[in-house]
Amino acid sequence: MTPAAALRAALAIEALKLRRSAVARIASVLLVVLVPLASVGMVALARSPQAGGPTAAKLADYATGDLATTHLMVCAQVLSVAALAAGGFFVAWSFGRELESGTAGALFGLAVPRSTIALAKCLVTLAWIAGCVVLTVAVTVAASAVVAAVSGAPFAAWADVRTAVVAGLLGGGLALPFAWVATVTRSQLGTVGGLVGVVALTQMVVLLGGGSWFPYAAPSLWAGMGGADAAAAIGLPNLLLAAAGAPLAIAAVVDAWRRLTNV
Amino acid sequence: MTALVLDDVSHNFGSRVALDHLTLTVRPGRVTALIGLNGAGKTTALRALTGRLRPTRGTARILGHNPADLPGDVAARFGHVVESPLVYPELTVTENLCCAARLHGQPGRATARGASAAVGRMGLGPWRHALARTLSMGNRQRLGIACATLHRPTALILDEPTSALDPQGVVLVRELVRELADDGAAVLVSSHHLDEVARIADEIVVLHAGRDVGRLEPGGTDLEQRFFAMVLAADSNSAKTRTADMEYRA
Repeated sequence: MTPAAALRAALAIEALKLRRSAVARIASVLLVVLVPLASVGMVALARSPQAGGPTAAKLADYATGDLATTHLMVCAQVLSVAALAAGGFFVAWSFGRELESGTAGALFGLAVPRSTIALAKCLVTLAWIAGCVVLTVAVTVAASAVVAAVSGAPFAAWADVRTAVVAGLLGGGLALPFAWVATVTRSQLGTVGGLVGVVALTQMVVLLGGGSWFPYAAPSLWAGMGGADAAAAIGLPNLLLAAAGAPLAIAAVVDAWRRLTNV
Repeated sequence: MTALVLDDVSHNFGSRVALDHLTLTVRPGRVTALIGLNGAGKTTALRALTGRLRPTRGTARILGHNPADLPGDVAARFGHVVESPLVYPELTVTENLCCAARLHGQPGRATARGASAAVGRMGLGPWRHALARTLSMGNRQRLGIACATLHRPTALILDEPTSALDPQGVVLVRELVRELADDGAAVLVSSHHLDEVARIADEIVVLHAGRDVGRLEPGGTDLEQRFFAMVLAADSNSAKTRTADMEYRA
């Protein structure tokens, strides 16, 4: 069996398991439905005459400016975190349950090596999260176009579409390090705990003003979550650092699965 | 050539000795049974032999290779079920078998045919489209064994293969194991069921406190009696050795 044939077999199996995964199904629906609803809904709420008090203050950034641009800005901000969360939960299940349930032990002594299976898991996760991100942005664009048509404004926010897609992909890619966490902890809940911890740590780092060089903060800040000044502080090097998370994590996970023992 | 080898293997879990200088070989065409009390080290030995556990000392070999890193062509001739089988609850019986066939190196176009044959062989026909999570424990065990054997391995390791099976399943597994061995496969089976072992094995290795304490002939009706006599003798020898060691130190 050639390495390419082994990878093809592993990809087919992992793709089948993803299609049957309750975690992936729920996360896909939440991303593709809730994020566009939140994007359009929050802008509508910010611009509603009934909005007032702390809600209006929190949504002040969305109350003015081009409608479609604002929809996609909210989409990018939410998606950069939501894709991380969805991807993190999925890798916790995909990697962690094999080690918890013991099926990882059954993956020894197979014609398809464990390292190839781990690589396939990572690639399938990336493809799924990328598909969800693109679909989520597409649904947001469609919803925004409908709202824009009703209000008589033309849809001309294509540059912001790119921002939303890139922010989502960066957030989703940063879920891959949790595949390594799942491999080390051998626990799905331990991995989810790590994910929650990193999200909390990101908040603290941003509050302390160090977010631009913190990979888990950079995509959201670039999408405008910390305001225009924080977004302007994020350059290509900051985004490349965040983008490096996925390939580095894949290399670490593949190596960890190759050296796996005591399962 | 011996197909399955544990050579002077020792392993500790903390201060507890799980395997103590265990040497074991299984030749092609033979069924070797590993029997012992709970905690005797059977599963640890099988985990070391399948590469899932790096022993503290000694070596394991499958078809002449390190089990933790089998070349693809060698792995394609190896099968095992130790503790959890290669069964995913979210997949159907047929899908699990197709996945197992592909992971054992069979080409995609051959997997459906192989899965169908395995379903018939293990009596899983009524459940072929059922999700594995809905199967009874016995049918899940049949499926696990089917997943490990559908590529007709020449080296096979089964840990307690009949523990959850009904009498019909026991007969199916016995026939399968015997047939593979008659075709030249080396089979290592661990079991608590001495009656079953007597019917299936060419050789019985008794493991106690991580050590090989002797061999039993499969025939005869007093296997249980001979097993306990061997275990008690091993305990008695260990006690004498400890006493002599303490006296020497004193």
